[in-house]
Amino acid sequence: MASDYTEILQRLCHHLKKFCEPNVEITPETDLINQLAIDSVKLLNLIMEIEDEFDISVPLNALADVQTVHELANLIHRIKYTEQ
Amino acid sequence: MTSTVNLEGKTLSSTIAKLNAPLMQAFDPRLSSESPVAIIPTPTYNTQAQRLADFDTLTAALEYAAAGAAGYNFYDAKGNLRSVLPYRALRLNARTSAQRLLSLGLVSGDRVAIVADTTPEFVELFFACRYAGLVPFAMPVPVNLGSHAVYVQQLRGMLEGGQASAALANTDYIAFLQEAAEGSQGLRWVGTPEQLGKLSAPDIALNANDPDEIAYLQFTSGSTRIPRGVIITERALMSNLRGIVRNGLEIHAGDRCASWLPFYHDMGLVGMVMAPMVAQVSVDYLATRDFAIRPLQWLRLISRNRATVAFSQPFGLKLCTLRVRDSDLEDLDLSSWRAAGVGAEMIRPDTLRNFAEKFAPAGFDARAFLPCYGLAESTLAVTFSQVGQGFQSLRVDASTLVDRKLAIRLQAEGRKYSEFVNCGRPLPEHTVKVVDDAGQELSDLRVGSVLVHGSSIMTGYFNNPQDTQKTLQPGNWLDTGDLGFVFEGDLYVTGRRTDVIIVNGRNIRAQDIEELAEQQPEVRTREASAFGITDTNDVTTIVLVIECRLTSTTDRQALTSRLQRLVYMAFGVNCLVELVPPHTLPRTSSGKLSRFAARQGFIQRTKLTDQLSAESGDI
Repeated sequence: MASDYTEILQRLCHHLKKFCEPNVEITPETDLINQLAIDSVKLLNLIMEIEDEFDISVPLNALADVQTVHELANLIHRIKYTEQ
Repeated sequence: MTSTVNLEGKTLSSTIAKLNAPLMQAFDPRLSSESPVAIIPTPTYNTQAQRLADFDTLTAALEYAAAGAAGYNFYDAKGNLRSVLPYRALRLNARTSAQRLLSLGLVSGDRVAIVADTTPEFVELFFACRYAGLVPFAMPVPVNLGSHAVYVQQLRGMLEGGQASAALANTDYIAFLQEAAEGSQGLRWVGTPEQLGKLSAPDIALNANDPDEIAYLQFTSGSTRIPRGVIITERALMSNLRGIVRNGLEIHAGDRCASWLPFYHDMGLVGMVMAPMVAQVSVDYLATRDFAIRPLQWLRLISRNRATVAFSQPFGLKLCTLRVRDSDLEDLDLSSWRAAGVGAEMIRPDTLRNFAEKFAPAGFDARAFLPCYGLAESTLAVTFSQVGQGFQSLRVDASTLVDRKLAIRLQAEGRKYSEFVNCGRPLPEHTVKVVDDAGQELSDLRVGSVLVHGSSIMTGYFNNPQDTQKTLQPGNWLDTGDLGFVFEGDLYVTGRRTDVIIVNGRNIRAQDIEELAEQQPEVRTREASAFGITDTNDVTTIVLVIECRLTSTTDRQALTSRLQRLVYMAFGVNCLVELVPPHTLPRTSSGKLSRFAARQGFIQRTKLTDQLSAESGDI
């Protein structure tokens, strides 16, 4: 389970890099809003990429409690491994 | 047997098919073993004679539509049909739910708040309220990252503002709703549609509605302040619907609608739920979220089901242009689309041109563009351009527009111009006029405030005589808050007055942003000013200027980041924060901040003039 999470985190960070400046360092604590400036349009793209990458569906209600990279990775993990 | 055919969980092989399914339901083991059932959408050609909204009330219209074969169809993110709700089933389910609602002890005129996800359950509840003589209002779903607290506050504001007696949300959103309802004095019942469905339906007679009773409330701003609920009567609603289906769209046999517009938005609810039903037309729905992530799905629906009528905000068209790949065009045939309604925000000609250019290879006919103008305070629609004619626009000299508030048609090439889309003429029983600051009517091509008079104007804002008085002027002229001019009988909207900022198709009140800032300990009242700046690429950015006494760089940076974060969480947009010394912001003689002057000051300080588009909001 722990390694699944690590893998998800790595893959997620790979996608997040496309949404921010090249020199930004992304850690689990990185704030999606403040530090990566994910606005509502970028968010749509990000969700689409996440859904395609992980073959999951991300419900909107769950995003209301997501602010950091760790929280997003956790959500993906939860959806992916509890749904199946 | 006539109840909703529900396909939830029947396509579990693909997780994407569950996009709309709440997380909890997705785990439900009962759903996993069922075999797929073939269902078909309601037909385009109906079995009954078409009547175009000639009904006194919404329920009377549904009683008639229920005798035919048309109805609502709900598609998932992958394009699979998940639920079919023929008007016949809607009528039956709504009547039963009406009796259940009445069994809760609700009485005629009580308000019922419903979180409006794109589901058959929402539509059933909305009509159930009308059958029971109750007043429904739709509440939004959360869309932003980290918006939990703000969303709950928004719901609470609506529950209080609408003085709701009952509130419903599906399993996805019920936890937010319960949190918002905590400590409420007025709420008698809070639950999910399933919980309501478990109550017994007593055999209570359902009375016909009166044209003068309130049909629903429409909340116009979902934000931090107590939001305003527009009161629309059955009479106003039916008048507007008649105008839309007869004059605006010229609905006829063979029409079919496709929509992704949210049910909590007036264009989605009035335009794409009620208007099709009162003309016995079938509709195919895609959830807003699913459209936003994969806009192609909406176009596929239109293509596959041969839809003829589909509306969008300009922003939705932009999403399609930006995000649909050229390789996707091969499979699309948009030639059936005869009315591509565009409204709900300023329409830029280039948005329409880019869309037409991109989708022409897929059979999209630019003559389908149907610009229109309206607002929730006038139910939905005020003006429509001529269907089937495409969009017309006017290029006017930019400097004359700003300096003299006058739209002069461009005489010579090379001068800076602004181009405005013709929004057409008022619906029957409606009048539009443009007035100056003193309320005097202006002649053609002179820019001023747009006022509307007519049969679909709201009664007022619910429980808010102060704002009602400000908006409904003597003689029942509705002040729309928009700026524009009239030319040869047609309306051209040129901008918004500075109290509202439109970003990505969403209306954000400047005051809401300023209040958010003023809640910070470092910011005093009347020392924050918010406005929008729009660049020549039509991208609007929110600017928040704060008079700030902090001296340390760290403190200033902390305040800036916090404000940006708060604005994001409340409104889902990034904003630019500028900290200026005290007494920088211009004030009026009464000490009020002038957002217009603040904006001018900001533009001068940042030397942005050339990169911004000329709007009459600049006046």
